[in-house]
Amino acid sequence: MTGKTAKTIFWVGTLSSLIVFLWLTFDFHKQESNFVKKDRITEQVVAGKKVWHKYNCNDCHTILGFGGYYAPDMTKAYFRLGENNILSIVMNPERVYKNSFRKMPHLGLSKEEAVQLVEFIRWVGTIENRHWPPQDEKFVKAFRLRETRAQTLNKVDIVMGACGGCHSFDNLGRSIAGDFSDISRRIDYSREALTKLILDPQSVKPDIGMPPQNVSQETAILIADFILSLKTEEVRK
Amino acid sequence: MIRYESQKVARWYLELSLLLFSLQVLIGLWLAINYAFTLPQGLIDVFSFATARAIHTNTLVAWMLLGFMGGAYFILPLECKRELFSVKIAYLQLFVFAGTAVAAVIGFLFGWTQGKPLLEIPVPLDLLIVVAALLFVFNVAMTIFKATERSLIQWMLLAGVTFLSLLYLFGIPFFSDLNADYYYWWWVIHLWVEGAWELITAAIVAFIIIEVTGVERKVVEKWLYVETGLFLFTGLVGTGHHYYWIGAPDYWLWWGGIFSALEPLPVALMVVDTWLHIKARKHPIVNPLLWTYIMGLALFHFLGAGVFGFIHTLPAVNYYTHGSQITVSHGHLAFFGAYALLNLVVFYFAMPQLKGIEKFDDRLGVWGFWTMVIAMVFMGLTFGVAGVLQTYLERILDIGYSTTHMAMMFWFKVVLFFGVIFLCGTLLTVYHLFTLKKVSEG
Repeated sequence: MTGKTAKTIFWVGTLSSLIVFLWLTFDFHKQESNFVKKDRITEQVVAGKKVWHKYNCNDCHTILGFGGYYAPDMTKAYFRLGENNILSIVMNPERVYKNSFRKMPHLGLSKEEAVQLVEFIRWVGTIENRHWPPQDEKFVKAFRLRETRAQTLNKVDIVMGACGGCHSFDNLGRSIAGDFSDISRRIDYSREALTKLILDPQSVKPDIGMPPQNVSQETAILIADFILSLKTEEVRK
Repeated sequence: MIRYESQKVARWYLELSLLLFSLQVLIGLWLAINYAFTLPQGLIDVFSFATARAIHTNTLVAWMLLGFMGGAYFILPLECKRELFSVKIAYLQLFVFAGTAVAAVIGFLFGWTQGKPLLEIPVPLDLLIVVAALLFVFNVAMTIFKATERSLIQWMLLAGVTFLSLLYLFGIPFFSDLNADYYYWWWVIHLWVEGAWELITAAIVAFIIIEVTGVERKVVEKWLYVETGLFLFTGLVGTGHHYYWIGAPDYWLWWGGIFSALEPLPVALMVVDTWLHIKARKHPIVNPLLWTYIMGLALFHFLGAGVFGFIHTLPAVNYYTHGSQITVSHGHLAFFGAYALLNLVVFYFAMPQLKGIEKFDDRLGVWGFWTMVIAMVFMGLTFGVAGVLQTYLERILDIGYSTTHMAMMFWFKVVLFFGVIFLCGTLLTVYHLFTLKKVSEG
């Protein structure tokens, strides 16, 4: 190979790739609205993104898979946890993760900042990113279908989709607030009381750390039935 | 035995770089401890994983950039056959850069951050970094323009540092939409390590190879053209392998997948040409350790960046491995293989000359090299094991977060073990470089 050929390889290689890359970048912006809901970026969402940056959340949590791999991915966290649970976690992590193998620092967010952060995370959840991360798809599906077409989901999916952010069952979910098998053995609530506890925990048990769950009355009844059914199954065993 | 007085400025850059390298590794061990054990709330409230990670990655970038800058200042006078344009600018730039780095690290400890991973430095400090970069590019450019002879290596170096500085700008603005934010975040991160930094690496390696082997410049330059051409050809569009899951059009799966799958090619060529040049050498081997480092760089660059990158770059695999410890495995092997070793090549090339030593006693350095290389291979593999476990349990078997991550804790104890060994290798190497001595006769 001559020096001239080598030089040609350099320029052709570099320029062709650069042109393709810039053209695709132009097209990315043109098509962006197909993948992100730009019209739903409200002032609250922008403020929430600033909160996300301010507390350096991204160096422990990944989002869209980027950042620190130390804590769960936040892309679909809104579906996994729901509004009240996120608020409760970011305001009082030391309480929520008291018995967890992994802690989260107390960041000292104001209530306003926490609400903005939730708005940001809710918006991020709307990004069409080919169903990534794979482990959170079950939460997304449960969130979208449990209120409208609950019959298309099996019970465990509905229950763990709503509660798996804090409770475990078999190997599913995250056990920071107890496993449902243990809980069912321990509790002594009626169906109505348990349903009420899910929707407004403090009204039933004033000292409980659990926040009110963002689920409908019907879903709450379904979850209560599921937990209570574990009780009888345990007894039978 | 430096040939130009202004080369001396490089010593400050290199020594500061070595200190930051040690700090980076030390903080890395702290990160492994965070993963391997449950730490008390009171401790992480004052020194969180996030803060430690910001320090780990920023000291990495800082020591590598200092190494590049020091390396460039050392070889430029030789390549241009004249003194640097301005030694004063070089010192001013060092002062601004190092001062900003120290301010940034202290700022992180108090929660002053831009909150973007790897680019945590807040905007006011970013601007100071830009000032340092402008001083550097100006000084390099003026030295080259004033040279009587033009060479490809000069231009490649100038192109590399200019490209590097320009790309940094894309990390500074605030984006209101997260996917565009990450689209341009990768212009800094990816186009640095798979673009600008590769240009600088290729230019520096080409220069050192010419110096130590005595192989004809024309031959080395030909390889340099082909390799950098392929680096940019595959690397520019290859950025797309980060756009699979951010909310971007489907064609990125194809463009990103195909181009990034070709990315190992230029690195493989680098292995071949390094080997050929060493075989065709005209000079005798004076310092075998430098040669070990050059060959080690070529091979580890290929393994860490090329092979480990290729393994999870295709969309069908990446869907499961993205954002997992597999990425961490690749990140460590690639940065060590490509850029830590490159900097060490520069250090072992420049330091003896800066100290007026022709042939140095390399016993400690040899221990340092092998300890680091072996520890890093095992550390990378252990991250890989943790990553496979994570991917399989959490994303394929659909087992919950706690179960998965508690199962991974054991592997982080293993990482910590190899991390401690790596730190020993680092300290040996740094100590060796600081206390280089002439080999005793007989």
